[in-house]
Amino acid sequence: MIRTDVIIIGGGATGCGIARDLALRGVPHCLVEKGDFANGATGACHGLLHSGGRYVVNDKEAASECISENAILRKIAQKCVEKTGGLFVRLPGDSKRYRDAFLKNCEEVGIATTVLSPTRALDLVPELNPAIEEAISVPDCSIDPFRLCMLNAYTSRRKGGDILIHHRVIGVVREKGVCVGVTVEDRSSSEVKEIRGKVIINASGAWGDAVARMGGSGVPMTLSKGSLIIANHRLTNLVVNRLRPPSDGDIIVPNEAVCLAGTTSVTVDDPDSIEVDPREVDLVATQAEQMIPRFGTTRLIRAYTGVRPLLKADSPDSRNISRGFRIIDHENGMISIMGGKLSTYRLMAEKTVDAVMGKFGTKARCRTAELPLDGQDELTGYPLSKRLKSIDSIVCECELVDRETVENTINSLGTGYIGDIQHRTRLGMGPCQGGFCTYRALGIMQETGRMSPTESIETLKAFLQRRFRGIRPALWGDQLREEQLVESIYLGILNMGNRP
Amino acid sequence: MSAYEYDVVVVGGGVSGITAALTLAEKGLKVALISKGDPVCCLSTGCVDVMTGEGDPWQKIGELPAGHPYVKAGDDALRDGLVFFLRIMEEQGLPYVGSLTENRPIITPIGTVKHTCLVPVTMAASDLAKSERLHVVSFKGIKDFYPSYLTNGISRSSFSVFDAGISTTLGIASRFEDEGFLGRFISWLQDTENPHDRIAVPAVLGLRDPVKVMERISKAMGRPVFEIPTLPPSIPGLRLFRALKGALQAKGGHLYWGKGVSSIERQGSEIEAVTLATAGRAARVQGRAFILATGSFVSGGLYAGRDAVRETVFGLPVFVPGERREWFHAQFFTPGHAIEKAGIVVDDCFRPAGGKLKNLYVCGSILAESEVMKNQCGHGLAIATGVAAARMCARGLA
Repeated sequence: MIRTDVIIIGGGATGCGIARDLALRGVPHCLVEKGDFANGATGACHGLLHSGGRYVVNDKEAASECISENAILRKIAQKCVEKTGGLFVRLPGDSKRYRDAFLKNCEEVGIATTVLSPTRALDLVPELNPAIEEAISVPDCSIDPFRLCMLNAYTSRRKGGDILIHHRVIGVVREKGVCVGVTVEDRSSSEVKEIRGKVIINASGAWGDAVARMGGSGVPMTLSKGSLIIANHRLTNLVVNRLRPPSDGDIIVPNEAVCLAGTTSVTVDDPDSIEVDPREVDLVATQAEQMIPRFGTTRLIRAYTGVRPLLKADSPDSRNISRGFRIIDHENGMISIMGGKLSTYRLMAEKTVDAVMGKFGTKARCRTAELPLDGQDELTGYPLSKRLKSIDSIVCECELVDRETVENTINSLGTGYIGDIQHRTRLGMGPCQGGFCTYRALGIMQETGRMSPTESIETLKAFLQRRFRGIRPALWGDQLREEQLVESIYLGILNMGNRP
Repeated sequence: MSAYEYDVVVVGGGVSGITAALTLAEKGLKVALISKGDPVCCLSTGCVDVMTGEGDPWQKIGELPAGHPYVKAGDDALRDGLVFFLRIMEEQGLPYVGSLTENRPIITPIGTVKHTCLVPVTMAASDLAKSERLHVVSFKGIKDFYPSYLTNGISRSSFSVFDAGISTTLGIASRFEDEGFLGRFISWLQDTENPHDRIAVPAVLGLRDPVKVMERISKAMGRPVFEIPTLPPSIPGLRLFRALKGALQAKGGHLYWGKGVSSIERQGSEIEAVTLATAGRAARVQGRAFILATGSFVSGGLYAGRDAVRETVFGLPVFVPGERREWFHAQFFTPGHAIEKAGIVVDDCFRPAGGKLKNLYVCGSILAESEVMKNQCGHGLAIATGVAAARMCARGLA
């Protein structure tokens, strides 16, 4: 049994941010996450560090939170934030009144703007639709959500926090109606462990209601699915937003060598069974190509989807911290943190930990806004110079990941999860989406003895099915061509197909 | 512009196109073959899959729907085509073996068994009996070949790893051309290998004369040696392609290699000529008849846009199975996506249906309803339809 003070459920940005906050305030804690970091909405978002411009017309409070967190994260998370800058572009027919409100509110909230002529905007982003009326620059950034989670968790681990990924909460231990711990299942060994703590923080996003129910309460939520697509080129170096009320497919974000466009908004029931509908792909692509015409003809490498955990509007037992997120004290030893967005994860963590400190009656001050994230030098990803170190043993040709890097990652994590390697090295993130290199990474994994050859093939099968799920909604053009080649390898040469 | 005149111009340099061209060249016709580059058969195992699974492939062909190209081509075209193929390969020094009525097993790189019809002689000894002990040889640093998958899947087997000083399949295959290298490999194998019944090697035993390399190793070791086809780039696929291309050149076929068709000249219901995009000046290639053998999506004969599928050379109408969201079902490992049916619908003479073009014939995986992946009938279908289209074409010219 593990004994700690605070149990955090959920390894998204919020959960990891809470772990770091607790670590810096000297509170023992244990975080459990059923998958890898950023498994839910955190990993399935745009990777946009909002300036607040997106919200400024309809929700000034949220916009204000965004711009102050934006300034903080630029400072403390330099290695996972790319200071791209952003544009809001107005196309013919887009409301001028919205534009005026936008500029006025930005000024009030403190979001720095510059109005740019089409020529100036096209200088910055040559792929922009030349028909734009004007563009307004804002301090939007792109952010790597996965690295953000890892860096937050890094501080926690360094200060003695327990971070258990691939551990699923299977029950909440209650004594006299009070939550005193959780039972978790280690998904690689199926071992069941018990963790006891004084407070349980439910930061499980779309799974929040299910977790709260295990504790005897509940969180009324609306689940909204948002789907995004990835184009195989960095068509813009700046974030590009549509200058109109928030709607489908109105944001394009550059990320490493690619760019992402999204999203959609569809109400769903079950966060575990969501799929991208090809019609959503068409919708987002059609909207994105209005801002950047070449988005419509660029090869799409994948579509993905996540679930926004929105709180139902008038939940009686919630304490409204802001319109962006809420902290709910279930008064049974569990606190739920719900709603919000990636850009304000640190603030959400701060407010949640403040609530916990109130319960403990201690007063350690939050320091997460002042101190840079630890571990940024160690976890800087792989610059091209490092990736080209041993060109002869390249495992992933798209992202230039060599065998030594794969082996080191396997050994340092002791992992049997292919996703862990992909997230940390970018293996399989390129155009073929792991169609060629995952077979190799798993071949290496079984050679290191981390898994048996049989397990390795089973893992490969599961990966290929998961991969296909992401690729299938956006299959045409060159991606379809490559997909049929991948199919011919696994179903043809390796004969792995199901036969009737 | 340079201008050339042929009886038949074949567009597409894969197995179906070369088979059609060879068939016509053997009939004494003046044949040209145009290809953008090395065909996708270079990515294949090199084996001739006729129809999926164990047993008699003809039985499963008998169950195909009437619109399937095999049914259109008829049993004779397939049988004659396979016999023809065996003869051509024998002539080219790359003999194939296999029974036309009984699929045979080969071993895949993950240790599973796959059944196919004709295999290169270097894979003939893949029919390992359960009681036999197998030794697998791998090469240091080689990608896509993990011998522990094989030893895990095959009982009574072991492996050892040879350092060839290079790790690509093409690089290792080139080294096997060298006597000294082969000698060093053999003495290493004699030193390291325990007594086993057979020896398996990834398919890298030379480029030009793999049979000689295999026989040398086999003789020195006193037991059968066989190759395991690898993932692309595949050396047996490359050998197959080179042998077919060599055969066509030997029979007087004219090759336009590395060139795409840039424009078409049409006179009424006949194609008159195509122009090739070449460096320097354009070439006009005139033919009395044309054969389209550009393959499906992977080879670029078909291109799927967001809303429509087009045929990339002549702009022929393409049969498309439903809307885009219906092209792929959800299960990666269950073959039979609807998109596999996409292609050119032809009449009984292998001409595009509708009768608008009288001197154009179509063969290979670009044909509608072929479902190559589902049926695992790639090279078999290419050979059968290549022969059938060529025969129709010859008849049309007579």
